[in-house]
Amino acid sequence: MSRLSARGLTLAYEDRTVVRELDLAIPDGRVTVVVGPNACGKSTTLRALGRLLKPKGGAVLLDGTSLAKLPTKRIAQQIGLLPQTPVAPEAITVADLVSRGRQPHQSWWQQWSEADERAVTEAMERTDVASLAERPVDELSGGQRQRVWIAMALAQETELLLLDEPTTYLDIAHQVEVLDLVRQLNHDRGRTVVVVLHDLNQAARYADHLVAMKEGQIVAAGPPSEIVTADLVREVFGLECVVVPDPVTGSPLVVPGAPWRGGDARVPAQEAQKTHADRKAQEGQEDTAASGTT
Amino acid sequence: MTTASTTPTNSKTPTSTAGRATTTASAGYSVLRARRATVLLHRRAVAVGAGLAVLLAAACLAYLCVGESFVAPGEVLKVLTGRPSADELVVGTLRAPRLVVGLLVGAAFGVAGGLIQTVARNPLASPDIIGISQGASALTVGAMTFGVTSYTVLPYLSVVGGLLAAALVYVFAWRGGLHATRFVLIGIGFAIALRSVTTLFMTKGDYLVAQQAQIWMTGSLNGRGWAEAAPLGWTLLVLVPAVAWAARAQRAVGLDDDTATALGVRLNRVRLGLVVLGVVLASVATGAAGPVDFVALLAPQIARRMTRTAQIPLVCSALLGAVIVVLADLLGRRLFSPTEVPVGVFTAAVGAPYLIWLIVRSRTVRSGGKA
Repeated sequence: MSRLSARGLTLAYEDRTVVRELDLAIPDGRVTVVVGPNACGKSTTLRALGRLLKPKGGAVLLDGTSLAKLPTKRIAQQIGLLPQTPVAPEAITVADLVSRGRQPHQSWWQQWSEADERAVTEAMERTDVASLAERPVDELSGGQRQRVWIAMALAQETELLLLDEPTTYLDIAHQVEVLDLVRQLNHDRGRTVVVVLHDLNQAARYADHLVAMKEGQIVAAGPPSEIVTADLVREVFGLECVVVPDPVTGSPLVVPGAPWRGGDARVPAQEAQKTHADRKAQEGQEDTAASGTT
Repeated sequence: MTTASTTPTNSKTPTSTAGRATTTASAGYSVLRARRATVLLHRRAVAVGAGLAVLLAAACLAYLCVGESFVAPGEVLKVLTGRPSADELVVGTLRAPRLVVGLLVGAAFGVAGGLIQTVARNPLASPDIIGISQGASALTVGAMTFGVTSYTVLPYLSVVGGLLAAALVYVFAWRGGLHATRFVLIGIGFAIALRSVTTLFMTKGDYLVAQQAQIWMTGSLNGRGWAEAAPLGWTLLVLVPAVAWAARAQRAVGLDDDTATALGVRLNRVRLGLVVLGVVLASVATGAAGPVDFVALLAPQIARRMTRTAQIPLVCSALLGAVIVVLADLLGRRLFSPTEVPVGVFTAAVGAPYLIWLIVRSRTVRSGGKA
């Protein structure tokens, strides 16, 4: 089942068509990750799913109704979206920003309800920013700030949550933290989450449903374990690679296949099975090669 | 209350939910309830507003007392409460109506500047920067050179001029949506063009007309009475509900476009509403007193720094605008007495040093946000 889907979606900025005739169904209660190389139209597609971009053709359907026909406030009660680089008003405090996520549930004569209070408190606790409540957002670190924005999106309490590259600008520990949080949300509340990522390994690790895009088209869609293959990576990213099981989760892990320059070498599958010692030796070589050039 | 400058330590806020302040409290708000209706009030803004109201009352009293002849506060209160007094003429007929015009003009500019700065996402945007005051001036001065001198007609022409200029700026800045930076830049362009049109009218016009136009353009309250105060007062009263709407709408507009849209805000419609309201307020005020410089620019920024709110506090901005104009006119009337200096000369002198002090005092330098 999918509440949110796209049918024959064509998206363009001015005259430049970015996405052409795209069909997509977002499975309910799952984490869907959209991956693809830069400028493949993945963020554009996400923006259209969240009605930030009006389709040139086709439609995005929520429960069978085109988003274009729904009042934007009604949509905001169902779909939450966190843009890639959101901008906070100057000097706003954490609690103030998070509470703005309640906007679609309020009106000018009902500016704050018990439900608002509960939702905001809960969102801040889940994202572990409650202790920062009174701090100005511009004084926070990148990782903290990203958690605050996610808290705002959570406070909106929508069944569908769309996140556009939520790990950009974060170091690896914070990236993992944010993605773990996304999984947690989906696990605890059965929320449908759509995340755009450019890191294929993270995508494969966290997705229930993976959508691979290239040049505005969907190349493959399905569970990562079924669709992530060396052939797919070559087709989508134009990269030779070896796919091995992630030692922690067992999900497909993509290892670039050409260790250093001069290799148009297709890496044979058994290379991946090399011993640890071999790999160490290779790394050593790489280091010397690198230092040689400097 | 924790201020922005003192960083709260983590030890102060225990992680357990029990006994912790509510979220609204930590965001600095209190909730006002009346049956099912709830209103969010920023506590610091309420306190600042109360302080400004007291300051304004004191400024008004001083304004009515001080003049060519000093009137004791007791006599002023007598006049105000309608009891017979020997100073009825000076206080009630000469000073009070001029004070009321000054008050209302200041408040209108304070709100107008706040709204336009919010939409433009730029603290430097104000009606006198983006062409609204210049539009009002061009049409008014133009009419003056063609022999229109009636002070009952000129204010209306000024309103029309301001609205026309704003409409042009808005239309040219529109490109599938309103782009904040584009809006400001095009506004500045129009302001420069319209200013030369005004200069053209003044050089072509009669010497006396040019002098009269010059005084009007500086912004003056000289000779303003109940005839100007009444229409201004009624217009502002009608707009109060709109300002109440704007105060809430501002909350969402302060975020970036994508985030605000994702929160279900009809951004283009809301922004148009805020701009129209701001332009009407600025034009009406300009019609009554001329383009009094800097009030619309200064009042919102000072008010926001005083309240430390994320958006411009409109009520405080209105009160502060009124305080600035009343004090500036008091100075203008008395400082070089018997020569009277137009109020517009002193508005910047009253507000600017305080704003500069506020900016210098804030320890961290922050940009005005990505436009």
